[in-house]
Amino acid sequence: MSAITRDRAVRPAPSAVSRRIRRAGSSAILPLVVPALLVALWWWGSESAVNGLFIAPPRDVLDRTLSDFLSPHPGDLFLGEVARHDLVPSLWRAALGFWLAVVVGVGLGIVLGLRPVLAALFQPLVHLGRSLPTPALIGVFFLLFGTGDWPKVLLIAFGVVWPILFNTIDGVQGIGTARAHVASVFKIPSRDVLLRIVLPGAAPKIFAGVRVALSLSLIMMVISELQKAKNGLGYLLVYSQRNFDYPGFWTVLVVLAVVGIVLNVIMIQIERRVLAWHRGVTAQHD
Amino acid sequence: MTEHTTERTAPASLELEAISKVYGVTRAIDEINAQVPAGEVTVIVGPSGAGKTTLLRIISGLDTPTTGRVLFDGSPIKGVPDGLAMVFQDYSRSLFPWMRVEDNVAFPLRRGVEKAERRRRVLEALQAVGLEGKERLYPWQMSGGMQQRVAIARALACHPRLLVMDEPYASVDAQTRAELEDLLLEIQTRLNVTVLVVTHDIDESVYLADNIIVMSKAPSTVQEVIRVGLARPRDQIATKEEPEFVHARAHVLRLLRGEAEPEAATPDDTLEVGV
Repeated sequence: MSAITRDRAVRPAPSAVSRRIRRAGSSAILPLVVPALLVALWWWGSESAVNGLFIAPPRDVLDRTLSDFLSPHPGDLFLGEVARHDLVPSLWRAALGFWLAVVVGVGLGIVLGLRPVLAALFQPLVHLGRSLPTPALIGVFFLLFGTGDWPKVLLIAFGVVWPILFNTIDGVQGIGTARAHVASVFKIPSRDVLLRIVLPGAAPKIFAGVRVALSLSLIMMVISELQKAKNGLGYLLVYSQRNFDYPGFWTVLVVLAVVGIVLNVIMIQIERRVLAWHRGVTAQHD
Repeated sequence: MTEHTTERTAPASLELEAISKVYGVTRAIDEINAQVPAGEVTVIVGPSGAGKTTLLRIISGLDTPTTGRVLFDGSPIKGVPDGLAMVFQDYSRSLFPWMRVEDNVAFPLRRGVEKAERRRRVLEALQAVGLEGKERLYPWQMSGGMQQRVAIARALACHPRLLVMDEPYASVDAQTRAELEDLLLEIQTRLNVTVLVVTHDIDESVYLADNIIVMSKAPSTVQEVIRVGLARPRDQIATKEEPEFVHARAHVLRLLRGEAEPEAATPDDTLEVGV
């Protein structure tokens, strides 16, 4: 055996290892590349002579975010003044609107999904509601419900209920006649049919709708606070812009991004637990 | 509810009196007269589109006949009769993938059977189908044959007096099918339950049956009722070699192809005149 062939024979092992390391390293690094470039772009923009007036440097925005939204006092639950004054009311209204939409969307969706006649009756109304761009209705909601928290909560609920409603109807209708036959042959009480067949059977579709509704509820939250608001992140966006407080304006964007990401992660975790069986079934069919 | 709490009782009989079914202008079932004797295995066999599934829906009270009536132990049924349990064709749709095996089997017992008794029946039913120790699995973690065993266990846990099976082995492979056929015969003997099976598989119909009801194409009628006298326990190889098996199989096949006139009288005692 020549030296060359022996060399080749020995080689694959270490190169395979290093390839694996490289692959693992790159899978950890690759997702960070684009965000890092974006921050660099942001920093470069803030340095520019003209745009720099409007774009606060990343470092300043970070400092300002921490000082505005965090506090060293446990009595305030470590929430800074801006967090208490604007973030908490915003999230509170968004959560209320979102849950209202989940309850109404799932409840109504199950009824319409189980009763084709009702579904046909209400179809035009549902399509009308879905087609209307909710932000256009903001004035109507203020007119109907005054200027307090309720018009905002209801606007958020109205804006996000549609994907939940449609997916629930779809999910319920997709459960199929075979399962309905099982229920009637074994005389399953309607309570069990509802809670143990219909609801879990439609759950994968419902979750898909709820995930869309969750990100939509943040959008509606901001929109609902752009007018006739005394607090909230949307209000803060307008207020800081009008007062030429550009670092303040950018902190709101940072906080909105963090909130969005955190909510999405929570959602994914819940879905993993609740729909573990669904992943199992789909993995079987792949 | 009482039907679940009663101990296992005598097997039920079933009578079909002049059943017909018309959907709009389509006549699916012309007229069916047949008997399902208590404590025996009766197999309904017919060509595709013979209205077998329609008939089964009527028998199990899920659908009403246009004319005629179904007698369960001599009294006409209204809705699903108490004491009837069913095994559906497609286990992947009849079992609930979000429930563990034990919960699937216990599900029909949730109404009216207390927890300890439910547990006992689930274990008993799973043991009867050879699935002890599998109660914590989910259906999708099992093979098709095992899933159909779960479906059978679910029906058995109800302590049925009549077990109805709609093409129960159509979606499993041949090997598993043979095992499940033997399992069914064994359970039927041991638990003394009336069994009604719908199939389009001729070998299966002869192998399982005490009585075969041969249906015609739609609008369906009963072509012939064949009495199968093959000894029990049956064996996948030996039974299928017996002249009687071969003869009955050929006869059913001819009937389904329309090549044979229903036999008015045969030299073979085991073939009796149909309805």
